[in-house]
Amino acid sequence: MKKNIESWIESLEIKDMPNEFEAKKLANLYGITTPENVILTPQENLDLSKMTQPFVLKVCSPDILHKTDQEGVVLNVSINDAENQLTAMRQRFPGENILIEHQSDFKAPEFILGVIKDPALGHAVMVGAGGIFTEIYKDVAFRLAPCSKKEAISMINELALAEVFHGFRGMNFDEDRFAEIISQVSILAHDMGEQLSQLDINPIVFSEDKWVALDVKIILETK
Amino acid sequence: MSDKIPLSRLINPKKIAVIGASNSKGKVGEIIFQRLLESRRRLYPVNPNEVVISGIKVFQSIEALPEDIDLAVITISAKASVGAVESCAKKNIPFAIIVAGGFGEIGEQGKLLEEKLKVISKEQGIRLLGPNSLGIFLPDENIDTIFVEHGDRALDPGGQVVCIVQSGSVGVEALGYASNTGFGMRAFIGLGNKCDLDEIEFLRYFGNEEKTNCLAFYLESIEKGREFLETAKKIAAAKPVVVLKAGRTETAISAVSSHTGKLAGSDNVISGAFKQYGIQRVYDDEEFCDASKVLSMLPAAPGNRVAILTAAGGYGVIATDYVEKHDKRASLKMAELSSDTKQQILDSTFPFSACNNPVDITASADDRMFQESLQTLIKDKGVDIIICIAFFAPPGITENLIDIISDIIENSVKPIIVFTKYGPFTNNCLRNFFFAKVPGFPAIGRAVRAARFLVERAEIEKKLSQE
Repeated sequence: MKKNIESWIESLEIKDMPNEFEAKKLANLYGITTPENVILTPQENLDLSKMTQPFVLKVCSPDILHKTDQEGVVLNVSINDAENQLTAMRQRFPGENILIEHQSDFKAPEFILGVIKDPALGHAVMVGAGGIFTEIYKDVAFRLAPCSKKEAISMINELALAEVFHGFRGMNFDEDRFAEIISQVSILAHDMGEQLSQLDINPIVFSEDKWVALDVKIILETK
Repeated sequence: MSDKIPLSRLINPKKIAVIGASNSKGKVGEIIFQRLLESRRRLYPVNPNEVVISGIKVFQSIEALPEDIDLAVITISAKASVGAVESCAKKNIPFAIIVAGGFGEIGEQGKLLEEKLKVISKEQGIRLLGPNSLGIFLPDENIDTIFVEHGDRALDPGGQVVCIVQSGSVGVEALGYASNTGFGMRAFIGLGNKCDLDEIEFLRYFGNEEKTNCLAFYLESIEKGREFLETAKKIAAAKPVVVLKAGRTETAISAVSSHTGKLAGSDNVISGAFKQYGIQRVYDDEEFCDASKVLSMLPAAPGNRVAILTAAGGYGVIATDYVEKHDKRASLKMAELSSDTKQQILDSTFPFSACNNPVDITASADDRMFQESLQTLIKDKGVDIIICIAFFAPPGITENLIDIISDIIENSVKPIIVFTKYGPFTNNCLRNFFFAKVPGFPAIGRAVRAARFLVERAEIEKKLSQE
């Protein structure tokens, strides 16, 4: 395993159970942009002076995988409302850390990137239509990890959504950079080896000419 | 050590022992021995209860056999097979085919027997095909150890497709299809339970053999997944590799909590992996045979623009719908014919022929008109593939059309595919096309799908040549 991954695993607050904040840190190591953020333990005070509004507040616990379903995400929070929302969130999730992020502005569609471990073939990387309806659309493409950027481009072009990279309604999402990110995710999986069970980046969006991973989940094999 | 014995001694054995060879009509040992009599190899029947079979002296035991046997075909029961394999190993016989079922596929007891085979093979170096193997069949070598009925009269020598199958019934149906409609088989290998020899070894052997130009696999499990893919990719750079992978394995992740896990199944992963490694995936026995037939007979398509030539208007319209239908395998489009092409076709047929693709030269057409129209279409720079709808009902069209298309195909770099139907004579007609080296299909959808295989193949060749 690579050094950077080893030290990342050692740094986890709860052994083998990375939270969203930590998962995003790992994504950053592989060149994947995430929104500017700050994490607050239950006792810490709020200081947003260095961040840009609007904000999104998220409960940050490895036990809560589908935050949206449990009111663990609050969107469009202004600087004036932040303190109140934080208090309310802490009441819903006592004892949990809260992640506060700048809320990126983006246009649909959202994408999903992921990794699974196939019993016969090992790690596979996936790209597809993201967001909360991803399992309804099932517009996805897979390749084995590691996969080249060129292969990633062929994955993108397998999607029904591929049109948004090629001028559909004036949309020209950055295909080249997106393919690079897919390839990076597959390299991450390859570097991490056996210990990586599943990874979800959902959604990843094209925001102000950049790809931004709004949510990252990593599930490790527990020994 | 065992890896060093060349597979050629299995594929092209000189001396074959048949364990359990018999005079009793209908016994597996009788059928296989009779089949092998036609191989003109030296045969060594082994059976303590027989003295002579078809004029050949029977050996009372494996121990009594001479030393340099290449292959033992073991036709006796599962339980007895284990002991026989052990004796063959002691006799330094390099290869054995175990025909009997009743091993891992039936449960715990069978698994124990299979485990014993594995140990013998590993420790003593004898290479095993099976158990539960349908056997091997190589028309060119006159080798046939398949005991179930399979038509083979239509199988020409010089076939170039290798079929490697894990299941008996699917394999036999493929042989039946091949026999009924014409198919160039180089080899047929029944893998059975794969206690030793597996798909990768045959992939390597036939992938690197000159006589083979297309490999088709029916697999239910791929144990060494990555190794199979890596090997297939190397072969696929030069020859088409087609795989029918059946049986969706369950995701090993016990509690799938991620979106990705829920979206994966293992089927999506396999489809993606096959694309990545240049393998053409098929989903049933018909597609398996159609794909390997067309890929073996025709070059990859230079592009995806299809011209359709017909004397039956209706089928031309249906074909157009099929061509334009979205298909993930490969996209096709109707070629736009040049004005020269259209004029030439009008000149050589009728003023009332429809010359916008599909080209309908009507039921008044004759052989010469079909020939000239086809030649004109081939010359059109906007055409990559031609599908001929060959019907023999129009009075002017005769069976000479088969030779006409055959002559044109021989000198064409553009693939020509035939769709034909002729009532109860369809299969015979397809066979005649096949003997004339023309790939024909009895349904228009299948003919169009065949074109997609050729376009898919072209994309694979391009991709792998750039890597």
